[in-house]
Amino acid sequence: MAVRTIRVYPDPILKQVAEPVAEIDESVAGVVKDLVDTMLDAGHSVGVAAPQIGVLQRIVVVDVSKSKLGKENNHGLLEMINPAIIDGSGSKVMREGCMSVPDYTGNVTRAEQIVVEFTIPDGQLRVIEASGFEAVAIQHEIDHLDGLLFLDRVSSLKTDLYRRKSK
Amino acid sequence: MNHFALTIVGRDRPGIVSQVTEILFKQGCNLADSSCSILGGQFAMILILGHPEFTDRKSFGDAFKPLEDADLSVALRVLKPGGEVRSNIEGDLCMISVYGSDKPGIVYRVAKVLGEKQVNITDLNTKLVGTEERPVYVMVIEAALPEGVEEEDVDNWLAPIRNELQVDISVRIIPTVEL
Repeated sequence: MAVRTIRVYPDPILKQVAEPVAEIDESVAGVVKDLVDTMLDAGHSVGVAAPQIGVLQRIVVVDVSKSKLGKENNHGLLEMINPAIIDGSGSKVMREGCMSVPDYTGNVTRAEQIVVEFTIPDGQLRVIEASGFEAVAIQHEIDHLDGLLFLDRVSSLKTDLYRRKSK
Repeated sequence: MNHFALTIVGRDRPGIVSQVTEILFKQGCNLADSSCSILGGQFAMILILGHPEFTDRKSFGDAFKPLEDADLSVALRVLKPGGEVRSNIEGDLCMISVYGSDKPGIVYRVAKVLGEKQVNITDLNTKLVGTEERPVYVMVIEAALPEGVEEEDVDNWLAPIRNELQVDISVRIIPTVEL
């Protein structure tokens, strides 16, 4: 289909909650294809969420298999419709950046392992367990469906160590 | 646009940021990068700011006088053109935690090793915690590693300090990812 322009903050669509997909029709298949094309076109990208290309539907694509951090542990290309995280455990800090928020990165703590449920484009329901970088990428992309940017998750400016209440 | 580095330090109390930024706003300054924090009982502000016309300290006139009257120390540095632009720091970011019973030289000894190995410290915090009888020193460093340097290398470089100063040191890479 087509490589779409990545929406960049302050585009208001990035702060809106996306609608669940009720029926997988041709237009939904088209959005999935566009997300994959856009992800591949942005050579470094490991995931794109529909709101990032201006579509307020709960669809994301993730593929960490080509990245240094994810190549050992991944499920290949994931095309996820109505994804939902049903379990999470552990925690992992990564310094996240986002194509929709250029030139800024922040430390974000996320679950290290997740169980995520989603529908694939042929209509089947899938449940997978993801961990490490793939888990972080999935959580980051699903956040886009809820109007959340990594900026909403930054856990500390520097270190948490100093921020506790003194006695 | 000319750029300046402004530092302000004074006894911590509510209202310092608002007093400072009101003056800057009324002067027509644009705030770029800034970092402000409580250190001990003091509040310290470091600001990089731009102004379309101002060229030097004199341009600000007596704008900072109310701050000095409020017992805040004010220092202004005029930046050379381009001095406001952060150079592109390559390399993996790593966090280094160093902690142990307080003793002289912890910061210096660690920083010396890192400097010699061309590790670029991008952020450094230290804090004296614990009790008066048993003070504990904690330092957390964020640093950019030169190409090809791994977590274990940094750990090995710092190992002698661990033994000599009896401090605990841990090093971990924080992977930077664009998603």
